[in-house]
Amino acid sequence: MSEADVVCYSEEIGLAADLVRIARALPAEMAPKVHAVLLPGAAADADDRLGAAGAHAVHRVAGTESADPHVVAGLLRGVVAALEPSLLLFGSTKRGREVAGRLAGLLDLPALTGVTGLRVTAEGVRAERETLSGNAVAVERFARRPALVAVLPGTTAAAALPVTAVERREHTAAPPKALSERIEVRPKAGGQLEIEKADRIVTIGRGLKKKEDLALIEALARSLGAEVGCTRPLAAEAGWLSDDHWIGLTGHRVHPKLYVAVGVSGAVQHLVGMRTSKVVVAVNKDANAPIFAQADYRIVGDLYQIVPALTKALAG
Amino acid sequence: MTPLGKIGVAVKHGVDVGLTRPDRSTGEVNLSSAPRKTSDFDRNAVEEAVRAREKHGGSVTAISVGGPSAREALREAVAIGADEAVLVTGEGWAQWDTRAVARLLAAAWKHLGGFDLFLVGEGSTDHFAGLVGPRFAAELGVADIAYARKLTIEAEGVLAEKDLEREVEVVRARFPVVVSVGQEINTPRLPTFMANLKASKKEVKTIGPAELGIPPDQLAPTVVVERVAVPDIPRKQVVLSGASPDELAQRLRDALRGEGVLP
Ligand SMILES: Cc1cc2nc3c(=O)[nH]c(=O)nc-3n(C[C@H](O)[C@H](O)[C@H](O)COP(=O)(O)OP(=O)(O)OC[C@H]3O[C@@H](n4cnc5c(N)ncnc54)[C@H](O)[C@@H]3O)c2cc1C
Ligand SMILES: Nc1ncnc2c1ncn2[C@@H]1O[C@H](COP(=O)(O)O)[C@@H](O)[C@H]1O
Repeated sequence: MSEADVVCYSEEIGLAADLVRIARALPAEMAPKVHAVLLPGAAADADDRLGAAGAHAVHRVAGTESADPHVVAGLLRGVVAALEPSLLLFGSTKRGREVAGRLAGLLDLPALTGVTGLRVTAEGVRAERETLSGNAVAVERFARRPALVAVLPGTTAAAALPVTAVERREHTAAPPKALSERIEVRPKAGGQLEIEKADRIVTIGRGLKKKEDLALIEALARSLGAEVGCTRPLAAEAGWLSDDHWIGLTGHRVHPKLYVAVGVSGAVQHLVGMRTSKVVVAVNKDANAPIFAQADYRIVGDLYQIVPALTKALAG
Repeated sequence: MTPLGKIGVAVKHGVDVGLTRPDRSTGEVNLSSAPRKTSDFDRNAVEEAVRAREKHGGSVTAISVGGPSAREALREAVAIGADEAVLVTGEGWAQWDTRAVARLLAAAWKHLGGFDLFLVGEGSTDHFAGLVGPRFAAELGVADIAYARKLTIEAEGVLAEKDLEREVEVVRARFPVVVSVGQEINTPRLPTFMANLKASKKEVKTIGPAELGIPPDQLAPTVVVERVAVPDIPRKQVVLSGASPDELAQRLRDALRGEGVLP
C-alpha cells in the first residue's frame, strides 16, 4: 500500500465514477493507486462502472444495507483502516456530507465539503470550494493528511482511464450497531426531473404573479427545448413547483448551455446554482436587479409582455 | 408525555455574506474584517429547540464557539427563548476550523452534563459545510439526523423527516440525538421588544479550552484558508432595449442563434 493512495466513495455510483476519474487525473506519483469502495446494497453493475472509470481496485463490503450514517461511516472506517490512503474523495451530496462529517469525527481527519476543484502537489492538497453561501470561492490547504474532500456533483471530471486488470476485493466486517432506524422512504413529489443535466433552462422567480401563469413559462421552455427551473420561494414557500426545479445553494446546481432567468432578482444563494451556465439571459422589470450583472443578454421589461413575444419569435 | 430533559442548540456568529464586499482590484475578500451575523439556519435550530421545550418541558442551552462577537448570536438565541447561553472562547479562536469547533462542542456537551436533544443548523451561512453536527455527534458516539424538515419528540427519542435530494426519509433515533435543520422546518419568531431587552441583560457563561481539558495544539488548524475571492465569470452584458416586445424577442432569438445554443 502506497502512502498516497486515494479512496473514492459515494452512494451515487455515477458520482463515485466521477470521483475515480478526478483521482486518476491527479499526477500519478501523487495518486498511484485509486480505490473505489462499494457498500452493501450497491447495484450489481457498480463494480464494472467504477472499473470502467479507471479504478485500480474496487472494494465491496459485504453485509446488509443501512441508511444509518453511523453504520455507513463505521463500515468505511474499516476499509480506510485497511488501505491507509492519504486522500479520501467523497461526494458532496446530503448523505455524503453527513457521512463525511461522521467519518472525519471518527478518524480525526481534516475535511472539506462543497469542493469544486482539487490540486495535489508535493506541497500538499489544495481544494477550491464554494464559501460565503456560494458568493465566493476559497482556496484551502490541508495542514496534514490523510484528508477528506467531498466533491460537489457536476464538478468537471477528466476522461476515464480504465486499467487492464481491475483488482476486486471483498471485505467482511461486523458493522457497528445502528443509532437510528429508517422507518420509511418516499420519493419526493415531482422528483423525476434531473435539472442538473439539462442543456437549456428557463428559470422563473417571484416575478410570476400566480401559479396559473406558469403556463407562459412552460410554453417558452417548450419552444426552447428547455426544462423549467425556479428560485427557492416558488418551491419552498409557494409550492408552485416541486423541489427538483429549485436552483441554488440549497437546491440544485446547474451547468446548462443556455440559462434564461425570468423575474429572478439574482440573490447570491441563487447565483451559486447557475453561475457556470454558458449563456445567460435575464428578463426583469428592474434595471438594477443583481441578476443583470451575471447576464450576457439583458432585457429590462415586464415578463408578461416579453415571455409571450419570445415564445412567438422562437416558434416562427 | 414524558418531559424532555436538556435541550442544546449550537449558534454560530459567522461572516455576513450579504454585506461582504471583495476588494475591487484583487477580487479578494478579507474575512477577518468582514461584518458578522448569526448564521441563518441557527435561528431555525433555536426556534425548534424552544418549540420542543414549550411542548415537552426541559430547558434550552445555546452554545456558541467563537470570539467576543458571538455574544450577539447568543443574545439572539435567548431573545427567541433559550434559557441559558454559553460562549466557548479562547486565544486563537479566529483560527479554529470545523474540527476544532466540533471538538469544543463535544467537550462542552460533556462539561455541561450532556443533552437529550441537540439542534444545529444543517450548514452555516458562511461555510455551508454541513460538517459540524455529524462530526461532533460522531466524536460523542451519539446518533445524528441531518437535513430534518419535520421533528416529532417521542417518549424516548425523536422521529424526523430527513429531506434528501430526491427522497424523504423518515428516521427514528433514541436520545441523545443531534438533529440538524434547515430553514424549511419552521419560521423563527420575531422576538418582542421585552424579550430583546431581557436577552441583553442575560448573563453569558464563558468557558475556555483549558476548562474543557483540550490543549491548544489539539485546536491547531488542520485546514488553512489561503484565499477567498469572488469568481469573475465575464458576461457579455448586451442590453436589448428601446423596441417593442416583439422586436426585442426577435433580436434575442437571433443573438441566441448566433451563440449556437438553440436546439
Ligand atoms: C441560507 C439561504 C439559502 C438560500 N437558498 C436559495 C436557493 O437555493 N435558491 C434560491 O433561489 N434562493 C435561495 N435563497 C433565497 C434567496 O436569498 C432569495 O430570497 C431568492 O432567490 C429570491 O427569489 P426571487 O428572485 O424569485 O424573488 P425576488 O427576490 O422577490 O425577486 C423577484 C424579481 O422579479 C422581478 N419582477 C417582478 N415582477 C416582474 C415582472 N412583471 N416582470 C419582470 N420582472 C419582474 C423583480 O424586479 C425582482 O427582481 C436562500 C436564502 C438563504 C438565507
Ligand atoms: N463556531 C460555531 N459555534 C457554534 N455552532 C457552530 C459553529 N460552527 C458551526 N456550528 C454549528 O454547526 C452548523 C453547521 O455548520 P457548518 O459545518 O460550518 O456548515 C451551524 O449551523 C451551527 O449550528
